[in-house]
Amino acid sequence: MLFIGMKQSPFSIRRLLRRGTKSTTPRNDPNILMLNLIYWELFKTYAKWRTYIGFIAVGVLIPLVMWIMWIEGGKFIQYQLRTLQADFLITGNLFNGWVIAQIIMNGLWVHVPALIALVAGDQLAGEATSGTFRLILIRPVSRTRILNAKYFSTLIYSASLVIAIAALSVGLGLWIFGSGDLIVIDKEGITILPESNLVIRFLFAYALAIWSMFVVASLAFFISSFVENAIGPIITTMTVIVIFLIISNLPVESVESIKPWLFTTHMNVWQQAFRDPFDWDRIIHSCLVLGAYSMVFYAMTLWIFNRKDILS
Amino acid sequence: MPQELILFTKNLGKQYKNRWAAQDINLEVRRGDVFGFLGPNGAGKSTTIRMILSLIKPTTGSVELFGHKLTTHRELALQNVAGIVEKPDFYLYLTAYRNMEIAGSLTLGKSPDRKKIMETLELVGLSERALDKVKTYSHGMKQRLGIAQALLCDPQLIMLDEPTSGLDPQGMKEVRELITRLSKEQGITVFLSSHLLNEVEQVATRMAIINKSKMIVQGSVEELLKVHANKILFNVEPKKKSLSVLKKIKTVVEPTMTDGGIIATVESKHVPSVVAELVNAECKVFSVEPKHSLEEYFLTVTEEQT
Repeated sequence: MLFIGMKQSPFSIRRLLRRGTKSTTPRNDPNILMLNLIYWELFKTYAKWRTYIGFIAVGVLIPLVMWIMWIEGGKFIQYQLRTLQADFLITGNLFNGWVIAQIIMNGLWVHVPALIALVAGDQLAGEATSGTFRLILIRPVSRTRILNAKYFSTLIYSASLVIAIAALSVGLGLWIFGSGDLIVIDKEGITILPESNLVIRFLFAYALAIWSMFVVASLAFFISSFVENAIGPIITTMTVIVIFLIISNLPVESVESIKPWLFTTHMNVWQQAFRDPFDWDRIIHSCLVLGAYSMVFYAMTLWIFNRKDILS
Repeated sequence: MPQELILFTKNLGKQYKNRWAAQDINLEVRRGDVFGFLGPNGAGKSTTIRMILSLIKPTTGSVELFGHKLTTHRELALQNVAGIVEKPDFYLYLTAYRNMEIAGSLTLGKSPDRKKIMETLELVGLSERALDKVKTYSHGMKQRLGIAQALLCDPQLIMLDEPTSGLDPQGMKEVRELITRLSKEQGITVFLSSHLLNEVEQVATRMAIINKSKMIVQGSVEELLKVHANKILFNVEPKKKSLSVLKKIKTVVEPTMTDGGIIATVESKHVPSVVAELVNAECKVFSVEPKHSLEEYFLTVTEEQT
């Protein structure tokens, strides 16, 4: 929506795209060409109403969760800390914005992937449905470049959605519930994280969350390359995620060997940002597995797209 | 001096499983041509155009545009080419102006000038609707917008696949006039595929005919139609008697009875004497019409192929 309706964009990047650099024409400068392609892919993505479904959902759900927590949240924290309170004296504001933001991050398992698949799954299938491949693929631009521009714009959208969640949940949470230390209770134990380094931790957590959401976007993007209806990629992506999540959490010995190789096993890498100290081996391993999945999905998409006959 | 060859296909073909959609297509399009690519529905016209515009990968053969092979120098080959394949489709949720910007930026590598976009929209009569979303456009307006996006970057070759499809007679006339203007005033080479023969006959200078996936003939419209320049339709009564009279005349070749009259091959210098003989035989001669239309030629060559 930033670009629509503006006759003259104040952004210098748009002026650059019109004029090119002084030394080369845009057609000869691959960087400007790529920048131009990404710009228009982002323009098309953010001009569609479906792109804003995610942001609207986030804008409604997060305040709703916070309202519920405002009403019932105190009881929730009391319940979580009931076993500790018998043996420890707990002081301070433990029911604070950081806790709420961390709770909301659990939406990254299913809800946020669905919202990302909604847009990523439409990137290629949408062009096939509308027939606009016949508009763009007869141009003197390689299919690889066009695909790369679409892929980057998909990743940018995914990142922007997570950033929106971050800004809203942390910003609104701190405003309503105030600040304080973060207490993390999970199967690995209890961790109390001081308020002073929570900003860095949350930035790190959201960066890892973005990295894990890139896999979801890449998967939906890949499925979008060989269907001509956007519904297919969305449903298929969510089906794969749910099935992999089930396998990742099955307490069955026969699947233990494959669990480390499922991307859903590593989608919660963001939780490592709330460990003290960081388990760097685990973080790096998870990031590498997630990155490999993204690359494999991208490579398969590239292979299919470069060979695809445009018949519609 | 022969004109520059700007589109050249050699043994171009596309096979789907056991069926050839197009095979052995050898096209030669020269600079300045209005090239008519004719064939009935399902003959392989759209498949051929899609292969030339790199929407479909050929099974056999090659395509060269402006001396560049499409497989190895795709970007150079398509640099000066624009096209509309079947019905033009756009981003319906965007305005015509934005659609033009997107199309132009893909060709130029940068956003085209606002002035150039508006001038091109003015050319097709859409400048006043430039800021309206394309989903509000009629079919005819979308067709015109398709032509506008094809003209935006000053192409040297425009490929039009059934450009008058779905248009009313006025729209068809406007498209034909535009094609003629593009060719004569701007020197743009036009490759036009259609199954509407009279439409192509009015604008094409060279043509090729494709039927059942194979190319039958290719050449100058004038030279190809000369073959049938001596076909004459005699509108006479009584038909049977007239036919027997014509069969006896040595200068009349293969007189044949048809619904509209009797068609025969007669050199123009002999037509008066043939008419005189019919009159002498007390046959009524209502009209004598030369039959060298493209439609007649097309039907003849396609029937010969069958």
